[in-house]
Amino acid sequence: MTLTVSGLVMVFPILYAFLISFMQGGEVLQGSLWPETFSLANYVSAFERVPLLTYLWNSLLVSVLIMAGQLILCSLAAFAFVFTEFKGREWIFYLFISTMMIPWEATMVPNFQTVQSLGWLNSYAGLTIPFFAMAFGTFLLRQQFKTIPKELYEASQIAGISKLRFFTGVVLPVAKTTITTLAIYSFLTAWNMYLWPLLVTNNEANRTVQIGLKQMQTQEIASDWGVVMAGVVMVILPTLILLFAGQKRLQEGLTQGALK
Amino acid sequence: MTTMQHEFTADRQVERKRAWSNWATGMLFLLPSLLLFGVFLFYPMVRTVYLSLFLTDSQGVPIVFVGWENFLNLFQSTSFQISAKATALFVLYTVPAGIVLATALAILANQKLRGIGLFRTMFSATMGMSVAASSVIWMFLFNPSIGLFNRILAALNISGVQWLLDPQYALLSVSIATIWMNTGFAFLILLGGLQNIDQSLYESARIAGVSESCKLRKITLPMLSPTLFFVTTVSLINAFQTFGQIDLLTKGGPMESTNVIVYSIYKDAFINYNVGSASAQAVLLFVTVLVVTVLQFKIGERKVHYQ
Amino acid sequence: MKKLWIGSTAMALLLAACTSETEEAVQTTDATAAPAEDTGKTEVVFWHAMSGELETALNTLVDDFNASQEEYEVEPVFQGTYEEALTKLNTVAGTDESPAMMQVFEVGTKFMIDSGHIQPVQDFIDEEGFDTSIWEENITNYYSVDGVQYSMPFNSSTPVLIYNKDAFEAAGLDPEKSPMTYSELKEAAAALTEGEQKGFSILNYGWFFEELVAAQGGLFVDAENGREGQATEAVFNGEEGLNVFNLIKDMHDEGTFYNSGQNWDDMRAAFQSGATAMILDSSAGVKGMIDNAPFEVGVGYLPVPDDAERNGVIIGGASLWMADDIEAEQKQGAWEFMKYASSAEAQAQWHVDTGYFAINPAAYEEQIVVDQWAEYPQLKVTVDQLKETQANAATGGALISVFPEARQRVVNAMESLYQGADPQEALDQAAEETNRALEVDAAKNGN
Repeated sequence: MTLTVSGLVMVFPILYAFLISFMQGGEVLQGSLWPETFSLANYVSAFERVPLLTYLWNSLLVSVLIMAGQLILCSLAAFAFVFTEFKGREWIFYLFISTMMIPWEATMVPNFQTVQSLGWLNSYAGLTIPFFAMAFGTFLLRQQFKTIPKELYEASQIAGISKLRFFTGVVLPVAKTTITTLAIYSFLTAWNMYLWPLLVTNNEANRTVQIGLKQMQTQEIASDWGVVMAGVVMVILPTLILLFAGQKRLQEGLTQGALK
Repeated sequence: MTTMQHEFTADRQVERKRAWSNWATGMLFLLPSLLLFGVFLFYPMVRTVYLSLFLTDSQGVPIVFVGWENFLNLFQSTSFQISAKATALFVLYTVPAGIVLATALAILANQKLRGIGLFRTMFSATMGMSVAASSVIWMFLFNPSIGLFNRILAALNISGVQWLLDPQYALLSVSIATIWMNTGFAFLILLGGLQNIDQSLYESARIAGVSESCKLRKITLPMLSPTLFFVTTVSLINAFQTFGQIDLLTKGGPMESTNVIVYSIYKDAFINYNVGSASAQAVLLFVTVLVVTVLQFKIGERKVHYQ
Repeated sequence: MKKLWIGSTAMALLLAACTSETEEAVQTTDATAAPAEDTGKTEVVFWHAMSGELETALNTLVDDFNASQEEYEVEPVFQGTYEEALTKLNTVAGTDESPAMMQVFEVGTKFMIDSGHIQPVQDFIDEEGFDTSIWEENITNYYSVDGVQYSMPFNSSTPVLIYNKDAFEAAGLDPEKSPMTYSELKEAAAALTEGEQKGFSILNYGWFFEELVAAQGGLFVDAENGREGQATEAVFNGEEGLNVFNLIKDMHDEGTFYNSGQNWDDMRAAFQSGATAMILDSSAGVKGMIDNAPFEVGVGYLPVPDDAERNGVIIGGASLWMADDIEAEQKQGAWEFMKYASSAEAQAQWHVDTGYFAINPAAYEEQIVVDQWAEYPQLKVTVDQLKETQANAATGGALISVFPEARQRVVNAMESLYQGADPQEALDQAAEETNRALEVDAAKNGN
């Protein structure tokens, strides 16, 4: 019961977006909750108005690239923080954590200039590489890796197993769940970026869906909210599907962890 | 005697060699991250500190060195004080409530029931919503004339609230929307944490006939503490840096009541082109978050229970 | 040591794998970009902030231009809101990434002139002996300073009063007669306020305040609104500004005013759902409102205080700017596009599609406009209000580079009214803060 109620409360805003996406003309601004007819006209206009398919494809590509980059870099770094002991390790860890506190808005303009001088404007490199290193992900994986008994690592060292083998053979499988979570997180965050993609791209060929969403809204004349919501639905559908699929994967990973 | 000494130095040499090798391996694993951080975070941050001491032209090129003046102006400005207060309140409103809600949902969803997967997806669904998309939806919900909230209030015979338009409620309203947006993520992480708890602990507790609330206090929460610690740290930092929903829902108004620091930085840097003042605020924000996080680590990590 | 080697090679491989992936991706985009080069036309990149249906209309205009001649290819690129677009321009101005043509909102005018990266269109006008008298004088006035036309007016709009005719009738008011003075407005609002319905609402947006001040002939800043030299002081806290604030304050106290916040669509929702019976809106939004409201919509002039002389309205919207550091050919292309865009035919289509004014009044004679006005007679009101505007410093609009900040201050002051602030004090504070911004700006520019 509590489960059902809280579930409904949590998803209500999303359902509402769905309903609005079928509304025509003034219905939205008059505050209707239920569309008069379920027509796909708004979806058709959404696709006509902006090159939504191109945008979706770009978002997918950018998100996957960022996800891959972050997973590789974060797991490497987290491994170093947990399993190698060297001078200044703590210090470097705090340095990592401190990057989370840098307000992104403050770094945007210098970063834009850096990307520009590297010649990465209008390229997937400019859209993705600046995000590959992520303190948050490193932190998350470090917390997870810490639960692996140190003795296991020492034993493997004595047995002459290389660090890399230990990393790929033991650490990564154990941390599968967390890595899946991180992967989903990376993907979604990348999918939802707006200001940076807008800054570093100048043509529709490599722009992403969030820009498309903004492109559907207007200020001085009334926005066609039905069309905007149709856009919103198209944009959130892939992520919701991913979450749903990821949920299954997550559970599998979790049961495996429990069996071990 | 001499042989022993010999062995000792040899040991030290081996030790030193190993230390060096460890350091090199460690650095090698860290190098890619460090490199990117250096270029895309530390360099701009250093530049920000530098710019905070200048007046700049509209393109952000420093022209007049003013020393601490940008900072002094900030401390004297009422706008900045309001902004600092709004930020603190926003953090207070969103972080504890968000974590409690997410933990409650995670415990609810950790039951072994048929179709629980559906609920897990529902609870985590907000994670798939972009801030832009969510804000548009919440804007409609909060709308005083057509919004659902006021219509519910009207149905209950309570007079409507100007959610986003009344300085008394605006920050609270944005906080509610923010909590909703952030719950999905915190929920997912916490659920993962819950699932990692050894079931045998509950089993023995059940045999010992321990009450539910006692199980929650003595087993669940302590075992969940590393995850909670992590979620708290990240939520705190995120709360300090909230931007999107402010921009879309209130633009910092009414009467600057929702003008949190990051939004103020954005306005100064990108709309008013006062890069110097924006940089000074960014530096202050950085220092604040740093202090809060260090405190959190000092107090928090002591209480965290690692397996 | 051996382990280390294995580790590092694996790392290198991993990194190589991920860089090669991106490089590949980069190459594919390079191939798809720059389609114009095949046709041998000169490419003219045009950055704009038109979204939604406005973008569709803009793209039609550009396509028509591209099809109309063989030499130039205008490439429109959406760059976010006006603010975002300007920020982006600001970061690339003077580099290769800079566009040839840029749409900038009206309050960015002074900022653009000061930026030093623009080419005034006046040079092209002089060179060609182009007859600018075909343009609506009240619109071109805004974008010319000291007799120099800096940019080409493009999408222009003014504020109008929009009212619910059905509600007027229900309240026993004449639905064909919109309130022209503050006391008429107050009376109408009082009559209209009933139950859930309030009488009147103004969006908390600086533009409406500026317009209401200018309508009475009031200035925003000194030095004749900054047009006779550098403005150093805000004067909007004078009598005219106080009139506006008193109006809002009085109506709010009487309970006939509806606070609709800062969001355009919230205000429209309030109007369409009957929460308020009169609002101020942009002339560009009129048609959409008529189409979507479930009642008859009337359009009227901006009200003025009872004893004030009606001066008219300031033009809002945006204009087209030409970059300075680009090839002569590109400049020529931008100029050709501007000329094309201001032709009667193109303007007629633009006016019908978007609701923005035709900068070339001859467009109003075109058949499509005549037809549309027959269908929406309210649109003519918006044009008449502009035509009747007296050209003076007040209606010319203020010229300051810190305009966005000044607007934020004014909005803040408006919001404080609803919390019971004293109108004069609120205005004075906003003016003082604006003065400080002007001062800092002067310090930056070293004068």
